[in-house]
Amino acid sequence: MSPNHEASLPLAFIPAGDNVTLAALGNEIDPQQREQLTAYGLAVNRPFKVLQQRPMTVILAEEVELALEHEVARHIWVKRKQNENDC
Amino acid sequence: MTTNASGADAILLVGHPNVGKSVLFHRLTGAYVNVSNYPGTTVEVTRATARFDSSASLLDTPGVLALPSRSDDERATMQALLNENSRCLVQVGDAKNLRRTLTLTALLAELGVPMVLALNMHDEATARGVTVDIDRLGEELGIPVLTTVATGGEGISPLTHAIAQARVAESLLRYDADLEADIAQVAALIAAQCPHPHLAARGLAILFLGGDTAVADWLRSQNPACCGQLEKWHKIAVDRNQGDLPARLARERTEAADVLAASVLSRAVRSSPLWSQRIGQAVVHPLWGIPILLGVLFAVYEFVGVFGATTLVGLLEEDLFEGMLNPAMTHLVSNFLPWPWLQELLVGQYGLWTMGMTYALALILPIVTTFFFAFGVLEDSGYLPRLTVIANRLFSLIGLNGRAVLPMVLGLGCVTMATLTTRILHSPRERIITIFLLALAIPCSAQLGVVLGMLGGVSFTAVLIWALAMVGILMFSGFLAAKLIPGRRIPLVTELPPMRLPIVGNVLKKTGGRLKWYLVEVIPLFLIGTFIMFALDKSGALPAIIEAGEPLVSGWLGLPKEASAAFVMGFLRRDFGATGLFAMAHSLSPIQAVVGMITITLFIPCFASLMMMVKEQGTKTALMMVGFIVPFAFFVGGLFNIALHLVW
Repeated sequence: MSPNHEASLPLAFIPAGDNVTLAALGNEIDPQQREQLTAYGLAVNRPFKVLQQRPMTVILAEEVELALEHEVARHIWVKRKQNENDC
Repeated sequence: MTTNASGADAILLVGHPNVGKSVLFHRLTGAYVNVSNYPGTTVEVTRATARFDSSASLLDTPGVLALPSRSDDERATMQALLNENSRCLVQVGDAKNLRRTLTLTALLAELGVPMVLALNMHDEATARGVTVDIDRLGEELGIPVLTTVATGGEGISPLTHAIAQARVAESLLRYDADLEADIAQVAALIAAQCPHPHLAARGLAILFLGGDTAVADWLRSQNPACCGQLEKWHKIAVDRNQGDLPARLARERTEAADVLAASVLSRAVRSSPLWSQRIGQAVVHPLWGIPILLGVLFAVYEFVGVFGATTLVGLLEEDLFEGMLNPAMTHLVSNFLPWPWLQELLVGQYGLWTMGMTYALALILPIVTTFFFAFGVLEDSGYLPRLTVIANRLFSLIGLNGRAVLPMVLGLGCVTMATLTTRILHSPRERIITIFLLALAIPCSAQLGVVLGMLGGVSFTAVLIWALAMVGILMFSGFLAAKLIPGRRIPLVTELPPMRLPIVGNVLKKTGGRLKWYLVEVIPLFLIGTFIMFALDKSGALPAIIEAGEPLVSGWLGLPKEASAAFVMGFLRRDFGATGLFAMAHSLSPIQAVVGMITITLFIPCFASLMMMVKEQGTKTALMMVGFIVPFAFFVGGLFNIALHLVW
């Protein structure tokens, strides 16, 4: 699958251990919280790793560990990277 | 140390939360401010004279997640930037998170103030295989850049030299043409009509267009007439960007930071996560998180409730005070002071020594010492922010998110300071609910220790009933408050700082600092409280109050009528009242002990805490809270008296 045709998925659906890149922050997220996420380093095309999904989504962006409630994570659109975790 | 602007040249430490600004502040000034391994420890600006230059004052500012400022603590930092006679900014960044650090640099650089960039926690970056080309970064930014490890004192001397050579940074980016046109227009207006003595008009324009209310207020205060034109340009720019202006400005800064970071950063491939990352993930794990939490709570209970409140209190109260000091003092006073009333004032039932000092030193001191130590270990380890993840679902039931657990846990140390810390919460609604719950159902360390000491002596069941009652009341009251107070719940997004081995020196220093603050506040209040009790007793008012309170205290709560005295003491400080009940523990049944502790825990918070509530929420709101809390405490205590007699 070429990157151009790769679907964006909600972050909340991505299994722990997967590496992804940010596709977009959904408009459903509060504008201030979108700014907050950008400040934490979540910018389009930036890579990060999903560490866990329960009880909250926890990601590792660069060296920042972020915990996100599912209500936010389901509106963060990501693309899965074809990486070592994909069998 | 003060928080007021002064005429002296100011060197401002600015940066993201939890990057080590306060440790650097301590290294550069010798002044100690509370330092912890979680964001939001500093919520006010702190000032002290720089060790390396007595003509300059150094300011430790609250961490900013991003600028333009949004939260109260970010506004406090922005106000410091606006109001201080800034000679230099020292941006403290996290060496392992260079992209994020440079995103803030991209904005600070526009302010036109000489800067230094200190990449702190260099050791953690190295451990993670992150290497920054410092020389190249310094060249690109045009300012001194250096690495530090503030906790270990590394890089402090080079930093003081760098401060002397601070320079205005090069801009990291030119925004898109339409944004640049707006910035230029607004900057020209600011430069012409309300120029800042130190900050560049361009930087202020970017902040203003980004919606920084502190900057808007400052501009308005300088020239109200200019504001109309500025607002007009702001509206045009916002409309053209369909409300996305602040985000677009932030995105472009982030992209510029990305490009620069990529050119100076190299990252070694790591084969496995660090142990600190493994532990950090385990404590928020859906399966292991809860057993680890229970283990931590049990360890704290054993250390504070058993070792502190039983073993140490036994040694100090029974062996030292009751066995040696009090008889010696009584003997001394009886022999050398001929006036019986003075003897009684010093060593009687409500004696300044036998009650005031004994309560403060023999009963409270060992408890708060062990609590502050345990709390310091948890703070330094980075465990507390992970509690926000575990507690989030529970807190969502009361209209809050897990972030509110931080002030709540801090409240177990001191409700007064925790009330101030509610500034880390993002909405006024979250703050008012949290302050109310702190005042109602969160016992401070002294009170918690007394409760654990007293009920621990009854049985573990008694401790459990009290704890479940507090959690239940907290949840029920929070649920009602969330329904009554308008506004919506904000979902949690939070950073989890790395787990670290606590540094013993820092924990001891913190424990010592808190104990000093506590004793300075507590001993005078305990002595004043004891004197009031003595005066009430001698004037006949106390027996009258005890008689008057009998229907409530004995009839409704089922306590001995003498317990009224403890509630009178509780008006001064809840823990003073709790200690009063602790002192009569031998004459209470298990049910009376539980009911007494539930009632006094819910009782009116201490005077200092009340003043902080007034400061943070205003007199009207604070009095409304107290007006609810006092009758509610007695109401709930009575209900438990009835319920426990039915089932226990």
